[in-house]
Amino acid sequence: MIDYIVSILTEGAIFAIMALGLNIIWGWSGDFDLAFYGYVALGAYMTLVLTVGPATSPTEYILGLSLPFPVAVIIAMLSTMTLALIVGSIALRHLRGIYFSIVTLGAVYVLYIFAGQFVPLFNGFNGVSGLFDPMGDVLGLGFTAYPYFYLALCLVVLAVVVLVVTRLSGSRFGLALRSLREDERAAAAFGRDIYVMKLKAYVIGAALGGLGGGLFVGYLSAFNTSAWSPVETITLYAAILVGGRGSTRGVLLGIVVMYMGLQEATRYLPEVAGHASFAPAFRLILTGIVLVLFIRFRPQGILPERRLRDKDISGTGGTASVAVESPITGPALDPGAA
Amino acid sequence: MHQALLTLGFGLVGAAILSLSALAFTLEYSVTNVANLSHGEILTVGAYCAYLVQQHGGGVILSGLAASAGGGALALAVHNGVIDRFVRKGIGGLPTFIATLGVSLVIQNILVIIFGASNLGYSVPPGAPRTIGPFLWTDTEIQIMVSAVAITALLYVIIQHTRFGKSLRAVSQNRSLASVSGINAHRVAALTWLLAGVIGGYAGFILAESIGTFSPYSGFTFFLITLTAAVAGGLGKALGTLVGGVIVGIGLEFFGGYLSASYNLAFAFAILSVVILVRPRGLFVGGRRSIFE
Repeated sequence: MIDYIVSILTEGAIFAIMALGLNIIWGWSGDFDLAFYGYVALGAYMTLVLTVGPATSPTEYILGLSLPFPVAVIIAMLSTMTLALIVGSIALRHLRGIYFSIVTLGAVYVLYIFAGQFVPLFNGFNGVSGLFDPMGDVLGLGFTAYPYFYLALCLVVLAVVVLVVTRLSGSRFGLALRSLREDERAAAAFGRDIYVMKLKAYVIGAALGGLGGGLFVGYLSAFNTSAWSPVETITLYAAILVGGRGSTRGVLLGIVVMYMGLQEATRYLPEVAGHASFAPAFRLILTGIVLVLFIRFRPQGILPERRLRDKDISGTGGTASVAVESPITGPALDPGAA
Repeated sequence: MHQALLTLGFGLVGAAILSLSALAFTLEYSVTNVANLSHGEILTVGAYCAYLVQQHGGGVILSGLAASAGGGALALAVHNGVIDRFVRKGIGGLPTFIATLGVSLVIQNILVIIFGASNLGYSVPPGAPRTIGPFLWTDTEIQIMVSAVAITALLYVIIQHTRFGKSLRAVSQNRSLASVSGINAHRVAALTWLLAGVIGGYAGFILAESIGTFSPYSGFTFFLITLTAAVAGGLGKALGTLVGGVIVGIGLEFFGGYLSASYNLAFAFAILSVVILVRPRGLFVGGRRSIFE
């Protein structure tokens, strides 16, 4: 029982880091990015190939270094940021709304296909494995104590991420991002460089995705194409939407409800003979239904993003531009119009 | 040269399936302005309906009809249950797009629960290959192409020469103007989705026939190629979509035949990204804004 609690908390902390990253892209900046799970996967793959040592035949993968786990995760984050910079600089320049989503969906599928088909990269469909209990031997932890250490590690990283994200959220950058989300033209009229700001947000978000991926693979110890699929992003979106898009507290709540809650609620489902995939499929059905219902009836989520009051008494008062009327209707400019 | 013509022949079969799927997608888009991410599931459900009929001894015609009926029923249900409610509430294109991804997730996993996640075989006796001109086609492939052309022609007649087609065109051009002119836009949209579902379900049936296997995820994978064809042709434009479907279908066959079939989808998305970035309104932008532009 205690093992179960430790594992679900560890997973929850890791997914929360990913969701906070995605929340910067979708919640603040307003871009519905379908490539996000690609950054998680790249972070996971890179962490593996940087730590597990050289490939032995018949496996094949790039690099094959034996770096310490934290260094590997940092390099993995840098590589996801590079990929995000490339994808973002192409997709964010002129595209908004569904066109942006379609191009990012394309990008993640290209990555997925290359990861699965191009064997010299990450060993194709079989994937890379062999990262057992990272840092465990250095710290001299036995396999009974290790899960507690890893949980603590993930929680500490999550706490740092929450701190950084909270600071960023209230900063001029965070506020300016929301102003573009609400009205891109108005923000541009106030002298904001929309493209550069959105690209920055995109890369920062992807970095958190890569961080989450690195921690995830430290927990899973292996990664291959059946461990992730491009549409997995949708469960992260569901968590953000349920909790409250744009709000850090909301996203954390969303992870608790959509990952831990859903996992717990479907844990006692009867095993159906011949249907090994019954419980996961049932969870995905619930996720889909929740997603549709929340967009329709409560798009601001359970804990909505707070409206910022204008503190400048000499002004006319009222609410600042961060006001959230219908948070998920971002500006849907025509492609090419921006 | 001979090899190239054979590849072209197979490409035409793929193009026929792709065009039907892309036409159905574009019909959905034209009346509701929603890029329906659950479009692939219409094809999947069509394939499963055809499979069930075939398991109970139904022939090709009965299977095709079942696929159309299943696809049509699903599309109508998605429209009336989700899309129309979103449109009435005035929820924009992007949030509705996100919701359709949720719908896709639900349908896929209901199929997983009912039929399991693994591939099912759909085999029809293909008949001996016939040589027609320079091409080599089986009876099944001929049936696929002939029926696709017939359905497209029928669709053209419906859109251009019937009263319903006229209201469809009106709603696709300007929904509010059509509404104030006395057209029941919700009803027209529902009927259009039904029509799209019938075509999409049939496309799923011929897709299963041509590949031979399918799973709850087949439709979604094929939808990604459909999206390429529809965007290449210009979202919401039927004639452009048709041409886009033919170009992408044949292009993929050549890419798969001469380079690598494993990277087909990656290739499709490369085309898609280039088209979106260079010609976001589609390859064939004309002056008259109509769905048969």
